[in-house]
Amino acid sequence: MTAIEGRVWLFGDDVNTDVIHPPAFYSLDPDKVRRGLFHGYDPDLQPSLRPGDVLVAGRNFGCGSSRETSIRSIRLNEVGAIVAVDFARIFFRNATNNGLPCLTFADAGDLARLRQGQRITVDPDTAVLHTEDGSVPLTPPGAFVRRIWSAGGLLELLAPG
Amino acid sequence: MRRAQPTTAKTVTSGERDATRPQIRDQAELALPSATNRKKSGEAGRTLSDKVIEAHACDEDDTALYRRVNVDAVLGHDATTALLIDDFERRGLSIWDRDRVLLANDHFSPPATAERADISNRFLAFAREREIPNLMLDRGICHQLLVEHQLCQAGGLVVGADSHTIMAGGIGVCATGMGATDILFTLATGTTWLRRPETIAVRFHGALPPGSGGRDVVLALLAILGESGAQYRSLEFHDESTSRLCQDDRFAIANMAVEIGAKFGVFVPDEVTVDYYRKRDGELLGTLVRPDQDAVYERVIDLDLSELDPRVAKPWSPANVVPLRELEPTPITTAFLGSCASGRLSDLRDAAAELTDRKVHPDVRFVVIPASVEVFKQALRAGYVETLTEAGAIVNHSSCGACGGIDKGVLGADDVCVSTSNRNFRGRMGHWDSRTYLASARTVARAAARGVLAPDLYGERRNG
Repeated sequence: MTAIEGRVWLFGDDVNTDVIHPPAFYSLDPDKVRRGLFHGYDPDLQPSLRPGDVLVAGRNFGCGSSRETSIRSIRLNEVGAIVAVDFARIFFRNATNNGLPCLTFADAGDLARLRQGQRITVDPDTAVLHTEDGSVPLTPPGAFVRRIWSAGGLLELLAPG
Repeated sequence: MRRAQPTTAKTVTSGERDATRPQIRDQAELALPSATNRKKSGEAGRTLSDKVIEAHACDEDDTALYRRVNVDAVLGHDATTALLIDDFERRGLSIWDRDRVLLANDHFSPPATAERADISNRFLAFAREREIPNLMLDRGICHQLLVEHQLCQAGGLVVGADSHTIMAGGIGVCATGMGATDILFTLATGTTWLRRPETIAVRFHGALPPGSGGRDVVLALLAILGESGAQYRSLEFHDESTSRLCQDDRFAIANMAVEIGAKFGVFVPDEVTVDYYRKRDGELLGTLVRPDQDAVYERVIDLDLSELDPRVAKPWSPANVVPLRELEPTPITTAFLGSCASGRLSDLRDAAAELTDRKVHPDVRFVVIPASVEVFKQALRAGYVETLTEAGAIVNHSSCGACGGIDKGVLGADDVCVSTSNRNFRGRMGHWDSRTYLASARTVARAAARGVLAPDLYGERRNG
């Protein structure tokens, strides 16, 4: 997986999927799904995102619903990766299954080293986050997660036929 | 994260548990199937979910972090299943065993907009083209339909395309929610990958006071553990209470285990479980899997129900819990009794009992949605629907309704709602500025009559 370069968007703990993608934006229409990202939380956030930007959060990111529209919206907005202290399990599975790298800090205290809008590089393969001030170690993903990433998503593991 | 201080609950860490551990009631007299309860000599004691995962494993490596497992049933609803149809068809996949699939349109039932009608039609066409025998059209909320169905059996492993699939744990099933991509994979293969979860045992003691129910129990547990206290873990519930939790209370507790982050929220099966299956199926068809007596738990929580008075979760977290008696009086505009978290017969009974010869306050809209058509029919026969209607409540068709901000009572900016649903996340039930308090059906009904979610809804209470 290639390294991701972008700006930091900082979030707190327990950011749930209804906040990430409000139910009113549930749709099969990609444009509607894309526009819904964080719409109630901050209507100006989604239009300001640029490809490669990184969501950085505290504990339990993505708790709540299993609706994959939240992952779809993050992907449609070309967010490059999410780095958090930890993730809610359904969200982590959904993101991984869809090839969106979710990485955790090796040391949860490193969250405090990151600033809103700061430019960073995230290298999922080496599990390191680089800032202009130095590098932040991330927890290396397990073999199973790497296997899904390298396949290009869970569905690529389905045997043909 | 907010962690309200429990006032009636005592937690015991695993290191302390031997000293305080009460005798686990011997259930051998029930003479129940126990094939998967046997332990090979020399092994560490296994929890309920350890046993269910091992019994379903279809890979060789029992030391791997992730196990590939066979599933017994797959659950899907319109909103999440619709997300996988394109991929499923583009890849030319077929369903591994259509008899093991239960599909229900519960989010858009019936659809409120043309866009949702199109999504619903796409979902229904997908199911009909594949001749899914268990397509439940407008029959209620999928999680309630699952536990009403023979596909859902004790000792089973069930996955569903919705986080509240976990609710089937109320009858001894290891059930868990996943997203559309995972469910597509399972529909095609009959398998999934699971990481073996650590287990937190929760043991209920004492006798639940008459005004309290399963909702109050699980809110008390949320106050102890917070929104991520059981993240990636299995919550294993042991009902050692003298009052015994009724089956509807167990569903309410298992349902909200996911609000604590759990993968499974499963009750150790007992005679309440057996009664449920015998009433539903005529006989016991599943396997009552129980943990070993020396099962290894990450933590053991002992919860004394005796002093557990009604609880509420304040906006905007289900873990933002206080005893109702400590809440500042909160005028409400909306009361909601429904969702897979509640909306069962005992909830409707409690609400009807509260509103007999009373009226819903003129400033309040009280929306009632039975969890399934079967529940609705039972409530009709019992007279609860008439009582609630006479009181001024609106009884709507069985579906998710306003719980996910879908329809039948979505909240506006100024609305303050008291709800039996499972999530009071900001913006979930409607406008970003609306406010939702979570409580039991009884508390919701009392607040609907008073017009205020008030600390004295149950009278002046003693401290404790």
